Amino acid sequence: MSGFGSPAEIGVAQYLLMMIEEIGDGTAALPHTVGHFPGTPNTLDADGRLGTDLLTCIIDSIGGMTSGLASLPDWIVTTNLMIRRAPNALTGSCGTGELTLNTHVLRRGRSAVVTRVEVADLNGSPVATSWMSCAILTPANGPPAFNRPDKPFERDVPNDPIFAAPTHEFFNLSVSDTPGVVHLSIEQRLRNPWGILHGGSSAVALDAAARSLVVGRSTVEPTPEAIVTDLAVHYLSPGRVGPIVATATSAGRSGPDHLVRVEVRDQGAEDRLMALAMTTVHQLD
Amino acid sequence: MPADDASNDFRPAYPPPRHAMSLLALESEQDESGDVRGWMPVTPFTSTHDGMARLATVAMLVDALGGMRSITASDPDWAFTADMSIHLLPAGPTELLQADLHVRRRGRRTLVIEAELLADGERPAGSALLTFAVVPRPEHLVNITIDMTPGRRKMNANSAHEKLETNYLDELKLLVSQPGIASIELRPVVCNTVGALHGAIHASLVDEASASLARSLFDGGAVTTDMHLAYLDLGRVGPLTATATAIGGPSGGRLTTSVDVHDGNGALVSTATTKVVAL
Repeated sequence: MSGFGSPAEIGVAQYLLMMIEEIGDGTAALPHTVGHFPGTPNTLDADGRLGTDLLTCIIDSIGGMTSGLASLPDWIVTTNLMIRRAPNALTGSCGTGELTLNTHVLRRGRSAVVTRVEVADLNGSPVATSWMSCAILTPANGPPAFNRPDKPFERDVPNDPIFAAPTHEFFNLSVSDTPGVVHLSIEQRLRNPWGILHGGSSAVALDAAARSLVVGRSTVEPTPEAIVTDLAVHYLSPGRVGPIVATATSAGRSGPDHLVRVEVRDQGAEDRLMALAMTTVHQLD
Repeated sequence: MPADDASNDFRPAYPPPRHAMSLLALESEQDESGDVRGWMPVTPFTSTHDGMARLATVAMLVDALGGMRSITASDPDWAFTADMSIHLLPAGPTELLQADLHVRRRGRRTLVIEAELLADGERPAGSALLTFAVVPRPEHLVNITIDMTPGRRKMNANSAHEKLETNYLDELKLLVSQPGIASIELRPVVCNTVGALHGAIHASLVDEASASLARSLFDGGAVTTDMHLAYLDLGRVGPLTATATAIGGPSGGRLTTSVDVHDGNGALVSTATTKVVAL
């Protein structure tokens, strides 16, 4: 693992603007953090709701950071992430607007960390629950620098309109001729501090591919008629080159719930399989 | 056996004569590539109201087959199940559930295996994804011989004479004390090779804790269709108790739950999320 870039300059974090605070004095073996996601207009849908694409990004961000704190002086990479949304927060006002993410490390083993992230709206209504596993690695140049307990800080956002763009533009998504196939071109802002594609970027691409398949049209834009309600993603290898291609196939359906399998491949790296996911896409009335 | 040849391993034989795995009469077949196909008969004792395999039993099928597949995939190391994700589809009344397992990644420290589920060999019944932690082979397993020759066979010889004659969860003595809380004593029938709660029985607890909570909220029948389960520690002290909590309220006949399993000392040994659907 190569050196860690500046945490303050992670493009995906500068886009999402989530503030994270470590609870306690920073000495707990199993850290606890709370995130506050402001929900800027360009990141929310017409109802003010965060899609599962960006929901995965913020969960991966805070869960990864908190897992990393539990692993110091080593650090982590996410190996898999599971999200399930609350069914009563898919429509209407419940689950809209700003979000809080309550994050607890459940287990810190010799080689892996398991962390839970619970997401709620400002009224305290649950929006989603999640757990993720991370592998502990020894970075060549040490872990990122943290002052414990970690406190929120205002991120400097580059003076570039792309940081205020809709999700599909920020993540450089493009359609193919076939519904269910989405391309992502890697830009520097989409890489994580290790220089590889941010795990949230893969999630954004696979979420778009799954929804596109279910609505039956080639699109990377929001789909008001369909939302990913459940996601199990396994990160198998890093994305380095691109273009990244997410390909969704149907595994079956149960009423309005479509079970979709998605492969994410790095076409520029011998089409290597980067991520494998099973998702449920719920068709809304 | 001469004393000099006797093993120094004094643990009781595994599996015992009556065990959750053998009661499900699992069968398996491994091809030359190492990939595994397996089958589980679906009976009134193992099915949901509509004749499909209950998630608790599907977890045993994919866990057992995944463990089998992991032996060759992780060789010369060993692999332990770290997490398991299952999605079930409404495949209709089923006589035989088939699972086809394939390795999707074999890294230095993790192994990812995918299972495709088919009802009666033809109808999609869902899928599973399993992660295994790859570790140096434990000393007591260095010299074991595992029959990996091709051919379909019972996964456990005891299946030939040990039959399930009551509801699977009743046979395991899995009890629901109140909606959302299910517990089980640590007896040989539900243990793994090291005497801890078998990984698939964690799933049984999660399944029933979730479903019982949903039944109370729906005021009617409910079936667990999806589960994401992470193993955190060995459950060596009974009773093991699963506590399900609703994530938000039910809507459209669907409920999301978070389930924690604690051992008899109150230690968290596994955690899961589920989707439960009203009948």
